[in-house]
Amino acid sequence: MEQNLFEKYGGFSTVSRIVMQFYDKALDSDILADYFEDIEMERLIDHQTKFVASLMGGPASYTDDMLKQLHAHLDIDDEAFEEMAALFKATLEEAGLDPEDVAAVAGEIVKRRPVIVKAS
Amino acid sequence: MSGGASAANESAAGVELDRTAFNRALLDSVGVGLAIADAGSGEILFHNPRFLELFPELPANATMRQIVEVPDAADFKDAGIVIREQEIKIKRRKASLLIHFSRHSLPEGEVMMVECHNVSKIKELEYMIESYSKMVEKNARDLRREKERAERLLLNIMPKSIYEELKSFGVTTPQRYDNASVLMLDFVGFTKMSVESDPMTLVSELNDIFTAFDRISEQFGCERIKTMGDAYMAVSGIPEATPDHAQNVAKVALLCRRYVRQRGKTRPQDWQCRIGLASGPVIGSIVGVQKYVYDIFGPGVNLASRMEGLSGPMEITCDQDFYELIRQDFQAEERGTVEVRGLGEKMVYSLVSANEALDLAII
Repeated sequence: MEQNLFEKYGGFSTVSRIVMQFYDKALDSDILADYFEDIEMERLIDHQTKFVASLMGGPASYTDDMLKQLHAHLDIDDEAFEEMAALFKATLEEAGLDPEDVAAVAGEIVKRRPVIVKAS
Repeated sequence: MSGGASAANESAAGVELDRTAFNRALLDSVGVGLAIADAGSGEILFHNPRFLELFPELPANATMRQIVEVPDAADFKDAGIVIREQEIKIKRRKASLLIHFSRHSLPEGEVMMVECHNVSKIKELEYMIESYSKMVEKNARDLRREKERAERLLLNIMPKSIYEELKSFGVTTPQRYDNASVLMLDFVGFTKMSVESDPMTLVSELNDIFTAFDRISEQFGCERIKTMGDAYMAVSGIPEATPDHAQNVAKVALLCRRYVRQRGKTRPQDWQCRIGLASGPVIGSIVGVQKYVYDIFGPGVNLASRMEGLSGPMEITCDQDFYELIRQDFQAEERGTVEVRGLGEKMVYSLVSANEALDLAII
C-alpha cells in the first residue's frame, strides 16, 4: 500500500508539532489573533491536529459540513483566511516537508475556503 | 540589573568562579519566570527576563498582588511553599501558569520568591494525548468489530477447526478423513427451467431452498461444503469425526426431499431433486490463496456424485456399502447392479424412509 503523507512524516507527533508551531504564528499575527480571543486552545489544537492529520491521510476525518458548522460563528473573511493559509504553508515548510507535499497539504486547505470563509 | 557586575572579575583566573556573575547568568537563562517580592508590601524587588516575558505589561513599581493571586501568609503552613495554578493573558494569548510561592527570611527582611512555569504547552499536549488515545481506542474497537465480522464470514466458508489452523499457522494442510459420508443433490431440468422462467425468481427460489437445506444439514450434523449452480453438496464426519456420518446424510437426504415435495404443493414451479449418498475417504482442504474455498475431494465424493447421476426425479440413491451402514435405521429398495463409471459393477439402493424410531417427523 502506498504510504500517505501522515505516515511519511512520522505520524501524529509531527502533526501536533506543526499545529502548535502554526498557532504560535497565528497568535502573533495581528490579523488572526483576535479570532482566538477567548478560545479554549487545548480543544482547538486538538481539533486542528486531527484535521491536519486527516488532510495528510491520517486516522481522522472532517466533513465539509462539520467545518462549516465549526467556523460559521467566527465571521472569517478572505483576508484572515489568506493569512492563515500563508502561515500554515510556512509552518509546513519549516517542518521540513518536501515542496510538493507542502503544496498538496496547503492545497487541501485552500480547497476548503468556501466552507470556512463566511459568505459575503 | 545590567550585566556590568561580571566585568570586575573578567580578568581573574578562570578557576575562581565569580558567584555573583554566575548566579546572575543563571537567573537570566533559566526557563522559569522568577521574581522576588517584599513579603509584606508585595513590591517586586527583582525579576528575571523570563518573568517579564510572562508579564510583558508589568507596570513599574507593580506589586505582586496586581499580577498574580498571592497566597495569604497563613497558607504557607509548615512546608513553606504554596503551589497555585493560574490562567493569565500574555498579550492576547492565554497561558496557564504553575506558580510556586515560597517565603524566605533575609537579613533585609521577609521576602517571597515566585517561580512561574508556563505549562500551556504541556496542558495542550495532555489534552491532545487524551483525545488522541480516545480516538485510537475507538479505532481499535472498530477494528475488532470488523475483525469479528470477517471471522464470521470466513467461518461461513470453512469449518471452525480449519479456520483456527489457518489463523495460527497461515496455511492449512489437507486432511484425510477415512470415515465420512457425502450428500450430492441437484435439480432435474434446472437448465431448462432457467431458460424458461424469470431468472430472478428462479435464483431467489433456489436461494430459499438451499437456505432450508443448510438449516437441515446443520441440524443433523452435516456441513454444507458448497453449492454450484443448482448442485448442493454436504458432508458429515469432517472435520469432527462422528460414528453416525452415514445416518446423518441419510436423514438430511430424506428431509431435503420432503422439503422439496412439500414446497412444490403450494407453488407453480415444480422443483424435483435427485440425491446421491456415499461413504468413503475424503480429503478436505482449503483451495486458493486470495480467494479461499474449503472443498472436499476423494472416492467418497466421486461415488456420491455417481449415485446422484443414477437417481431419477425425487430419488435418493446409495451403494451397497452405504446401505450396510444405515440398514438398521432406514428402509431402502434394492435396484440391482449397475455399471458405475470408474468403479465397476455395484449394487445400488433407493432410500425410501427412516424407521419410526428415528422420529424424523419433527423438524
